[in-house]
Amino acid sequence: MLSHRTLVRLCRARDLLREVPEGPLSIRAVAAEAELSPYHFIRQFRAVFGETPHQFRIQARLDRARHLLTLSSYSVTDVCMEVGFSSLGSFSDLFARRIGTPPSEYRRRVRPLVQVPGRMPAELIPDCLSLMCRVPGRPFAISEK
Amino acid sequence: MRIKLNSIMVDSQDKALKFYTDVLGFVTKHDIPVGGEFRWITVVSPEGREDLELSLEPNANPAGKAFQEALLKQGIPATAFESSDIQKEFERLRAKGVVFTREPTNAGPVTLAIFADTCGNLIQMYQPNAR
Repeated sequence: MLSHRTLVRLCRARDLLREVPEGPLSIRAVAAEAELSPYHFIRQFRAVFGETPHQFRIQARLDRARHLLTLSSYSVTDVCMEVGFSSLGSFSDLFARRIGTPPSEYRRRVRPLVQVPGRMPAELIPDCLSLMCRVPGRPFAISEK
Repeated sequence: MRIKLNSIMVDSQDKALKFYTDVLGFVTKHDIPVGGEFRWITVVSPEGREDLELSLEPNANPAGKAFQEALLKQGIPATAFESSDIQKEFERLRAKGVVFTREPTNAGPVTLAIFADTCGNLIQMYQPNAR
């Protein structure tokens, strides 16, 4: 059984994995912060959050990249560095594979949706239950691949 | 007016659909793309009425995410499902690798257990105790 204490530690580790540290932050170091051995940390993290710490970190970085591509004026290269990738090529490849479109094209699609500078467009942040209003589907600009 | 639909926020709709169907055993009722990356997904329980639906909502709204994470850190379940044999269900889920923060515990009117849904929530499962 998972104790409340361990649950809280895993939540804290998840917060850490979202951050982009100055230097490289190994999974071992995050596990130590969570006061668990790397083996137990990875196993427990996956059982609770449905993905490994590494997978979670990659996803968190891509989410942040999408946010920056939508709202910031950073270049794609700056976004890549800002979210913690060191190679533009591997960032772009991974982004395209996971999101379905390369970062520059993603930006071109989402930018027209931004109506208030600095505020995420509603199409990218659904309200609870509002998705139902869109059934059978009013495609957003972004889905018009 | 009737209660027919409830929703739960999930950090990934793909992961959620897998967990709520493959692991919990619910059945997909709707899975409709609604543009962008989001889908309108609802599941029903094969043990319950098929018109009582649970919607798996993306937690893309930062306010929703903050609320979900705060509940999890405090160990508070996001919702509760009823079981007619909680011990059997507990053993079935545990065998599938589901993590429990509380094993079946007699809490007076009900016996309850709490598990992680792999999508950022704790879920309570309960069985009313015979009087």
